[in-house]
Amino acid sequence: MRTGVIQESYGELISLFRNPTQTYWTWALVIMSLAAPVVLTGHVTSLINGMMIAAIGVIGLNLLTGTTGLISFGQAGFLAVGGYTAAILSADYSMPLWLCVPAGGLMAAAFGLLVGIPSLRLKGLYLAITTLAFTIIITHLILSAESITHGSSGISTAKPAIFGMELATDKSFYYLVLAVLVLAILGSANIKRSRVGRAFLAIREQDIAARAMGVPVARYKLYAFVVSSFYAGIAGALMAYQIRFVNVDSFSLVISIEAVSMIIVGGLGSTAGAVIGVVFVLGLAEILNYVFSSMGGAMGSISALELKGFIYGLTIVLFLRFEPDGLMGIYREYKNRWVNWPFRY
Amino acid sequence: MSVLLEVDKLVKKFGGVTAVNNVSFPVLKGEIFSLIGPNGAGKTTMFNMISRVLPATSGTITLDGQDITRIAPHKIAALGMGRTFQNLAVFKHASVVDNMLVGRHSHMKTSVLGGLAFGPTTRAAERAHRKRVEEIIDFLEIQHVRDVPVGALAYGLQKRVELGRALATEPKLLLLDEMVSGMNAEETEDIARFILDLKEELEITVMMIEHDMGIVTDISDHIAVMNFGERIAYGTPAEIRADPHVIEAYLGHKIEEDTEAV
Repeated sequence: MRTGVIQESYGELISLFRNPTQTYWTWALVIMSLAAPVVLTGHVTSLINGMMIAAIGVIGLNLLTGTTGLISFGQAGFLAVGGYTAAILSADYSMPLWLCVPAGGLMAAAFGLLVGIPSLRLKGLYLAITTLAFTIIITHLILSAESITHGSSGISTAKPAIFGMELATDKSFYYLVLAVLVLAILGSANIKRSRVGRAFLAIREQDIAARAMGVPVARYKLYAFVVSSFYAGIAGALMAYQIRFVNVDSFSLVISIEAVSMIIVGGLGSTAGAVIGVVFVLGLAEILNYVFSSMGGAMGSISALELKGFIYGLTIVLFLRFEPDGLMGIYREYKNRWVNWPFRY
Repeated sequence: MSVLLEVDKLVKKFGGVTAVNNVSFPVLKGEIFSLIGPNGAGKTTMFNMISRVLPATSGTITLDGQDITRIAPHKIAALGMGRTFQNLAVFKHASVVDNMLVGRHSHMKTSVLGGLAFGPTTRAAERAHRKRVEEIIDFLEIQHVRDVPVGALAYGLQKRVELGRALATEPKLLLLDEMVSGMNAEETEDIARFILDLKEELEITVMMIEHDMGIVTDISDHIAVMNFGERIAYGTPAEIRADPHVIEAYLGHKIEEDTEAV
């Protein structure tokens, strides 16, 4: 049993880092993240940028689906709202990035409030279908409101630049995304250790008891929707800047399903799990890509796509069947075993 | 003693079924009040109406002089009413401490933005409320499990956590729905001791639904008996034990009718 870590005040009990080891590892991770683009190639950096942007959105979804227990397939819709808001503001109104990205988040949050209202009476599958419909509606809205969204032709965004400094390369863009991701993680961790996060969890676990303890359940469900879609909107805006072009195909329904699968693989309700889930699922896709293309011939072209989908689906099924707590669950189990060794518990 | 909770001619209908019919009783400040009756008598429905989980069909509920019959359910905690549930409604995946901190919800003011930023005000509030929760943990003697997810605890301990969560709301009136059902003799005695401590040390008025007649007659100041949705008796434990209606409800009719049938 590990000893020597003693909390002496309530302040220490509520801090994010409970012991020196955690603090050291976090700093090591920060230094590694800062150094990464220097060491890595442009292609890998761009891949990591994609992962980090996805992680921002998935952390938001995790607050809604993982913590509050409201299943949402609206993620792609909120990404689209954020992405289009940023793209329109930057391309048509030449607004700077530091305004466009938060605007994307706020616009998505407003839509989140709108979608959240049906959630007050719907649960489980019914809510999932409603949010699914929202994603489809958004796609149609974008295609038909041509005067604002340029319809099916899409919009090319301006080059990302912040305070006059151009972030034209993947490596410079990396630092912007990293900064936003760190803020996103901190925000999520903070909200979960405040009364708001506890109310979210209480609603997922026992909404009647939550209400009896003084939690206005309806209002907090809306909060969860707003916060979650704000995260997705920010992610969508960053996505628009990364690809430098948005059209409806960039925000297909598959993204919603992918996002839900990421939080399942990572571990529902855990911020770290959300990040790990993103890395696992996108990493797996990338590895499969590599494996199939290196096989060449028929495997490389024809069956690759179907087989990838198959392996991808299989992973989700296996996780739900054997490890519903996801990768974070596995991590916790091994950590406990290691900490208590040689005792069994 | 003054009246803390006044239930007046309360009625609850589910479609054509009248679950609670015209029930009235007072709960005095500082007492232990028990609501008893056979299964299906309407006791839990009564509790659910008082704590606003269910809307009453008619009648009034007055807490400390304030009419709460139509108040929003989440405002009940702030007015000083805490409750536990018949079939354990703890937050199973949250730790003991977090369960109790949810009970502090209506005493905190942290907004969503405050939570995201976790600035000095939020931090100070978290620290203060954590301190209060630790006091309740000490009172209930569950220090050793404070960081354990509640779902992993034994049944008796889970019940105790639920009691702690209700206490964390700082109630004037505490509703306990079948606190000791499924507990062994030792756990039952522990709970009885806690309830007496609540009354004497913390001056909390306790209203409980209970099937265990031992604990009811031992610690109650007043008892109301319900059967088929109606109040059939009200009085002190001694009066209730002697009441012919109560004996009939629990033990059935006189023996002659049965012998005639044979």
